[in-house]
Amino acid sequence: MLKKPETANVPFSSNISGSIFMSNTVTLIVDEKFRFDVPTKVSLLSVLNEKKIYLPSICGGRGICGKCRCRVLEGGDALKAAEMKRLSQEDILSQVRLACQVQIEQGLQIQIPEGILQLTEYESQLTLLKTLTHDIKLLRLKLLNPPQIHFKPGQFVQLKSQPYENVHASVMRSYSIASSASSADHIDLMVRLVPEGICSTWVHEHLRAGDRVAFVGPNGDFFVRDGHEDVVLVAGGSGMAPMVSILYELSQKTPDRKVDFFFGACKEKDLFFLDEMDAFGKQMSRFRFRPVLSQPENVDACETEMGLVTETLNAYLRTVSTGKLHLYLCGSPGMIQNGKSVASRNGVPAENIFHDSFS
Amino acid sequence: MTKIEKHHFQAGMLTKDGFVGSDSRSIEEIIRADQQLLSQIHFENTAVADRLQRFIDEGKNRLEDCVRLGNQTIRVQWDRGMLPCPFAEPGLHPKITVTVRSERTGKEIRYSQLSVHLVRRHGFFGGKGSRFRLEPEELVKLFKEDQP
Repeated sequence: MLKKPETANVPFSSNISGSIFMSNTVTLIVDEKFRFDVPTKVSLLSVLNEKKIYLPSICGGRGICGKCRCRVLEGGDALKAAEMKRLSQEDILSQVRLACQVQIEQGLQIQIPEGILQLTEYESQLTLLKTLTHDIKLLRLKLLNPPQIHFKPGQFVQLKSQPYENVHASVMRSYSIASSASSADHIDLMVRLVPEGICSTWVHEHLRAGDRVAFVGPNGDFFVRDGHEDVVLVAGGSGMAPMVSILYELSQKTPDRKVDFFFGACKEKDLFFLDEMDAFGKQMSRFRFRPVLSQPENVDACETEMGLVTETLNAYLRTVSTGKLHLYLCGSPGMIQNGKSVASRNGVPAENIFHDSFS
Repeated sequence: MTKIEKHHFQAGMLTKDGFVGSDSRSIEEIIRADQQLLSQIHFENTAVADRLQRFIDEGKNRLEDCVRLGNQTIRVQWDRGMLPCPFAEPGLHPKITVTVRSERTGKEIRYSQLSVHLVRRHGFFGGKGSRFRLEPEELVKLFKEDQP
C-alpha cells in the first residue's frame, strides 16, 4: 500500500512547539512517524486535508457531524463548545478532539484512527458515464496518478465532488467499486441519485466524459473472503456495485463455488447488468442470479421471483444448510438490517455475515 | 437557545439546495410564523412529527416498495450516509426521503428523516420554496384524511 506522498523536511524535536518562535509555521507530528511543517491560525482538519490525510467529515468542517475525531497528544488549544456537545467525558479524558475545531497555534502531536494513512488520493479521468436505471449511473474512471489501484473486491472509495451552481465546496462521498480487482488501471462506480445529494447530483447532472475526477481510497472491511464455502449475495439498487466486483473475483479464482445472488428491485425497469449476470453464469457453473421484484408491471407475465428480496432470502435460507455459508449484503440500510436479522434467524453465524460499514 | 448559524441552512452547505429556498426571512421568523399557524389549527410540533415519523416507519418496513396506508400511498427511499442537523445539534440523521401521496386528492408531500427532527426539536418546517418545505395547513389536511 502506498504511504503518504508528502512529508515536510522538518527536523524532529521533542519540543515540538519550539519552532513557533522562529516562523509562522509549526511542526505537526502524525502518529509519531510523519512530520509536517504547517501554518498557524488554521484548523487541523484543513491542514490534514492539504497533506492528503482524510479524516471522515460529513459537515465539511463545521463542527456538526462529530466525525473528524483524532487524539491530540500535545499542543492542542482549548476545547470548543461544539466539541463539548459531541465528545463524551471518556473521549475528553482520552484526548480525543474534533480536528475541525482544533485551531493550530503551536506545534502539535496527534494520533489518527487506524487505516487513515493507508488511503491514497487518486487522480483519474472519466471515460464512461452510462445510465443504468432512471436513478443510477455507471462511471468508469481511468487512473492517471497513481496509474494503478490495488483493492479487495467489495471495498469502496470516496469520490471528491467539484463545486457547481450554489455548491461552493467539494464534498467526499463513499461508493463501492464495481470493477474487477485484476483491472488495476481503472475502477467502475455505480452512483444513485440521492434527493438533495451534493455529490450524486454532481455526478448525475454536471459530470461529463473526459472530466478529471479525484477520489480517495480504497477503504472498508467489506470484501470477499477466500474459501470454498457457499456464497449468498443480497443487494438492491446501486448495492449491485460491490457484488459485481466480488463476482469477478469468484469467477476468476474459484469458479466452482456455489453462488446465489438475490437482487431486489421494484419493477422490471429497475433491473440492470443482466448481460453481465449471464456472462458470470457462463463462467461459474454453480452461479445463479435471482432477481426479485416487489411490484412487477405484469404479475402474470413476471418471470422473476416476486416479493421483498429479504422474504425470498428467508425462503431460500430455510432450504439450505446455513452453518457455513457466507452472506454478503449491500444496499439500503433498511434492507441490510432486515437481511441480517433474516440470516440470524436462519442460523447463519454472525461472523459469516458481511456488509459495508458506511451506511 | 443556541445561536443559529444561518450559513448552515444555505444551499450547498449540508444539502444541495439548503433549507431556506427563496425565503428572505430569518430562521427565527420562519419558525415564529409557522408556530403561529400551527397553534391556529390546534396542532403541536410533536404531534406533526409523530405523524410524519409514522409514514416513514410504515414505508421502511417495506424497504423501498410503495405502501398503501389508509388513503395514502407512501414510498421511502433510504440511501447510505447520514446528515447533520443545521441547528448544530449533536447526532446524525439517516438519508431517508419519503413521499406521501393522497389517493383522494392526488397531492404529494415529500420530506426527509431530518425534516422530522427539524419539526420536532426546532419547530422548523423549512423556508418557502425549499425542496422539503412542509406547509403546516397542507400537512394537517393530509393527516385528517386518515381519520375515519
